[in-house]
Amino acid sequence: MPRRVQFAFQTAILGLSLIAFAPLESLAANAAKLPGGAWDSMSKLPDMSGVWEMTFGRGGFVPPQQPSLTPKYADILKAFQAAPPQDNPSANCVPPGMPGIMGQPYPIEILFTPGMVTVIAEAYMQVRHIYTDGRGHPDDPDLTFNGHSIGHWEGDTLVVDSVGFSKDTPLGMNMGVRHSDKMHIVERFHLKDPKTLEITTTIDDPEALTKPFARTISYGRHPDWTLAEYICQQNNRNFVDASGKAGINLQH
Amino acid sequence: MRIKPTNTFLASWALAVIFAVPPVMAHHSFEMFDMSKAMTVTGTIKDFQWTNPHTFTFIDVPNDKGGVDTWAIEGMSPNFLGRRGWTKHTLNPGDKVTITIAPLKDGQKGGTFLRATLPDGHEMVMFDNPSRLQPK
Repeated sequence: MPRRVQFAFQTAILGLSLIAFAPLESLAANAAKLPGGAWDSMSKLPDMSGVWEMTFGRGGFVPPQQPSLTPKYADILKAFQAAPPQDNPSANCVPPGMPGIMGQPYPIEILFTPGMVTVIAEAYMQVRHIYTDGRGHPDDPDLTFNGHSIGHWEGDTLVVDSVGFSKDTPLGMNMGVRHSDKMHIVERFHLKDPKTLEITTTIDDPEALTKPFARTISYGRHPDWTLAEYICQQNNRNFVDASGKAGINLQH
Repeated sequence: MRIKPTNTFLASWALAVIFAVPPVMAHHSFEMFDMSKAMTVTGTIKDFQWTNPHTFTFIDVPNDKGGVDTWAIEGMSPNFLGRRGWTKHTLNPGDKVTITIAPLKDGQKGGTFLRATLPDGHEMVMFDNPSRLQPK
């Protein structure tokens, strides 16, 4: 490589490195300024970080109370039940969104960093960002499967407030129970003991529900587990088509 | 091929319903399988696909015409099974095994995997003892 070209190349690399590192530096500076967000203050928070899985058969998966639907949404459910599809969109690898993603038979991992709690769901490899830096919700959030989440601490309880949910997802386990774009979810994360995390989830929706709908799921801590990859499209042989007909591909 | 509803089937399925339906429900419903029936297929493993969202076991089962039929058996995911004693080497091409399945309703040669007896006689179940699911 001619020296001039080499010099130009090195300069370019140096320039790119400076650009690449600059945001990291400002992030670190911002983190120190975040309310309650500096790394050293985090050691005082209840230790919810790590890998958790719903506790099966011990209150982990209790059928919740039935949601109390408004007449309009009761009619939607009735119409669904009159001609139910043979399977759920998850057969096509569509993730469940909130709140369903928090009730999967696969573990979740909780990460604490300054200004943010991250929940990684192994099922469908979903990520929830819960901003704990004091920001509010956007005025007009885009509607997403997992919504927009902000969190704050009330004593030892992490209170997570989420809005902005896509209407493509159901309100609970039953695909016929739908929600409006005004669904609002409050989750209270609390360590019942060092090995047990309880999350009480309360859903309200002025268009779909006549009163809030609540459930509590408990999760057991699995310190020796790591999350595994879950690429649903890797070898998905199940499907449900637009008419609701389901099938399976058995070809080798 | 033998079709044999087993005595332990109902008991094991009761456990599965209580503890393991949610895992399967997470991806799709049981609608396509005849869960009231347990049948066994005995043959030679052709392929064991250790993949998401389901493992798939292809097993060559002798038929009454002197040939073999390949059965395709859907199982739980590597993520679920890997935490319950299974590995990608639990079933290997060439292994002679007996697999208990709930067959497809539509008569195709396939079903959902309930348990298998390995060449060494060891039994592997898809839906494990619930106590294994408790945190340490």
